Amino acid sequence: MTVKLTRRKFLQSATCAAAAVPMARMAQAEQPFVRQPYAAPGSFAGTKSVCGGVCEMCFWRCQLIGKVRDGKLVKLEGNPKSIDNGASLCARGNAGVKLLYDPDRLKYPMKNIGKRGAPVWKRISWQEALDECASRLKAIVDKYEPQGLAIFPHGASAKYPMNFFEHVVGTPNNSEASFFQCRGSRDVAYIQTLGTPAGEEVDMPNAKVIFMLGTHLGENVHVSHLKKYLKGLENGAKLIVVDPRFSASAAKADIWVQIKPGTDTAFLLAIMNYLVQQKKYDMEYVEDFGYGFEEFTVGIEHASLEWAANICDIPAKQIKEVADMLADNAPNVSIHPGRHSSWNGNDFQRERSLACLTGLLGAIGVKGGFVKPKNPKVGRCSWPKVAHPHEHALQHLAEKYPFSPPGTPTDLIRETALTGKPYAIKGLIVWGQNPIQTIPDPALTVKMIEQMDFVVVCDVMPTDITMYADILLPESCYLERYDYVKKGTQWDYSQPHQQYISARVPMVSPTAADHERKDSVWIVNELARRMGYEEHIPAKSAEEMVETILAGADLSLAQLAAEEGIHIQPGVDPYGTQYDVDFNNRKLIDAGFPGVPTYIPVPEPPKGFARLVYGRLPVHSFNRSQNNVWLHQEMPRNPIWINDEVASRLGLNDGDEINLVNQSGVKSPSSSILKVTAGIRKDVIYTAHGYGSKNPQMHVAAGAGLDDNSLITQRAVDPETGTHGMRNNFVRIVKGDTVLDIPG
Amino acid sequence: MHQSSAVVAEQIVADRLSALLAGLAQSMDYPDLDWLTQEHWSWIKDLLDDLGWQAERQELPDTIDDDFLTALQVEYTRLFINAIPHVVAPPYGSVYLDSEGILYGPSAEKAKQFYRQQGFDLVGPNDIPDHLNHELRFVSLLLQDGRICEAEQFLRQCFHPWFGLFQDRVMGETKQPYYRVMVQLIKFFTKEEEEHDS
Repeated sequence: MTVKLTRRKFLQSATCAAAAVPMARMAQAEQPFVRQPYAAPGSFAGTKSVCGGVCEMCFWRCQLIGKVRDGKLVKLEGNPKSIDNGASLCARGNAGVKLLYDPDRLKYPMKNIGKRGAPVWKRISWQEALDECASRLKAIVDKYEPQGLAIFPHGASAKYPMNFFEHVVGTPNNSEASFFQCRGSRDVAYIQTLGTPAGEEVDMPNAKVIFMLGTHLGENVHVSHLKKYLKGLENGAKLIVVDPRFSASAAKADIWVQIKPGTDTAFLLAIMNYLVQQKKYDMEYVEDFGYGFEEFTVGIEHASLEWAANICDIPAKQIKEVADMLADNAPNVSIHPGRHSSWNGNDFQRERSLACLTGLLGAIGVKGGFVKPKNPKVGRCSWPKVAHPHEHALQHLAEKYPFSPPGTPTDLIRETALTGKPYAIKGLIVWGQNPIQTIPDPALTVKMIEQMDFVVVCDVMPTDITMYADILLPESCYLERYDYVKKGTQWDYSQPHQQYISARVPMVSPTAADHERKDSVWIVNELARRMGYEEHIPAKSAEEMVETILAGADLSLAQLAAEEGIHIQPGVDPYGTQYDVDFNNRKLIDAGFPGVPTYIPVPEPPKGFARLVYGRLPVHSFNRSQNNVWLHQEMPRNPIWINDEVASRLGLNDGDEINLVNQSGVKSPSSSILKVTAGIRKDVIYTAHGYGSKNPQMHVAAGAGLDDNSLITQRAVDPETGTHGMRNNFVRIVKGDTVLDIPG
Repeated sequence: MHQSSAVVAEQIVADRLSALLAGLAQSMDYPDLDWLTQEHWSWIKDLLDDLGWQAERQELPDTIDDDFLTALQVEYTRLFINAIPHVVAPPYGSVYLDSEGILYGPSAEKAKQFYRQQGFDLVGPNDIPDHLNHELRFVSLLLQDGRICEAEQFLRQCFHPWFGLFQDRVMGETKQPYYRVMVQLIKFFTKEEEEHDS
């Protein structure tokens, strides 16, 4: 019988193996501790404010300060010196602390020794990870040419790798979610109408009327964007909100137009036709800056109030009321261009209509109108354009989407990867994007991934896409790295004109004994060295990159630090800049598209289905906010809005647990709770985006709420731009095992 | 002045325990040939032999080869770093002790404060204080200095409250006997003992 010793007896025994612990190989330097005399802390001991952070919980990028106590970030606040967000920070921004210390974060480079989609991870060294990434990517380039690679980037840190693969390695196959699944159609439409991208550049604080189409400020929260909006309302601006749902903005509106989704262009055409017919437009501005106005008036003359009322399912008199309110207050009206514009696949036409309406009202360069800020100039630091990938750009080869935003339309990349025509795409780089939850038809995305020879993913969190990586690289988060230079002006142009420049600097050290995260500049430089592109490296480090950009404004990181993180200088009056308005665009005509804004009907819900529409929540809706404990506790799941009369007919109650199933029979993998309200049309079901992660590694987010993108399987693509339309999917409700038809 | 033989004997025990805990902390680092040498492996086997833990000894291979090392690395990643469906046993105290399962929670700060009060600081400014290996190495340093009461206090206040929960997860989930044996060894060498064990 074996007799087990007690600890003490064992340690007292003469043959104790403890005497022979082979510790020689553990160098003193690897000890995690240093000896340091204890100093009793005072009440403020060890607490300091670190200035110069720039938020990236969303992409508005507010300026931060961090309260760091004893090496630990304990609180984030808006930088009080900021003339943008000021001392304010939204809930997401505050919760950045929890991203930094999220136990589920990626920690080390890992190799998938299981299967894509069902990974088994093995921690590997950076050396091994980079060697393997470089050799596998290089092999694909050697075999299939650079266009054999595709990159799906998102966020500030993804710009450096994106430019490397596009401009140096030479692949045109770059699908940025911020363009192809978000705002690409908006900016291209404004370029084709006013000659400049839209941004969200309307002077709301000084407007007499604010007009918003689908924009749901209050649920969509960007701090200075909200400040502009709320200042406008405080100053007495009237508010017109066009939305099928009683959104946070609709709740403040003077006129709420409960429009049928997908018909917005018809609504806009009717307003413009009415203004033209009634001669209520800005004739002087149109005379001076309008092009193709005659053709425009002919092109929209069919759009009577009644015609639009029938299409949009709203009263004709309400369209007239909106048009009159705009005309009566022109030119001091903010026609908000929106932000996420990938709605129905007819989005370019809608955005062009918004730009034309802006021009028709003369609401350009004047108080309350479309006014672009005069931002300060800074330097540039990027990869040189040594490759010429655009001859292989799929939209050129296919002679489609001539008005694509920069990069390549996502569906062309997916289709090419799956068919091998006109060439093979065998390597995938995903950087900060989660295509499984952002790109319609996720099953098709998985098929694309399955045929790849190699997939590398770099991220902060184990999002859904990371399950498909062969090599997974852990990135420093925005609170631990240098990367982004933020510039702009004060948000209220009635105030003294000022410009600001700030740069993202680490709030806390990026290094620690229990992880090996790196920033994108370091990672990509190491890849570039291994792939034979070392000579083109533009900056040795992220810090050097930021220094180079700042040097263009005669600034430095040291100078910014001395100025509490933000440099402020006198600004320039932004009013007075006027833009030509292309009412009838010749380039569009030459490419085979209507020159005049045109309403293109979108598919109707089949019998028994409602259209699925999604939006944002102030506490969520981003990759980076998904697994955040603080934000999760504010809104653990995304309520599914349904009309109260519909609910009553179906026997459903507020708070019921439900799933959704779409027109193709795809059921949401996880459920959520019902919100029964009179504030939504009967033919629409709405929820917030970004819930229901499928990666069980996300302890908080996995299966929490319903993933709207899992139901967006019917793709629509904007014919001019190649950007996705994501609101042409239709759903029924599943309660228990019962599928419920939506009554007509 | 001569120290009593009892005091000397106590320090010998403390030194041996210190070395053992450092060795066990090392054994819970990511498996790497830099430290997981045949020499280290022999030490582990000898330790089990000396303890009379024959069943545990027989679960471990006689030597380390590439396949075994890779299997340990994969298992370490799954248990302690990232895994599908979940990382099994994050090696941080506050994940077990503080609400929300957070990293660097209040209990981690308590451990850090203990380090400071004993005249130690973590080298890395961003190091998470309550990592298993940090705590074991800290106790090892205290014992090496002869601060036996302080070591026991740290184990009682900071280490025991979570280690049992961590150990249960590893014991219940690991596919590698090595980690089952390691957490048992750590338990054995850190547990509170009765004043007069026989």
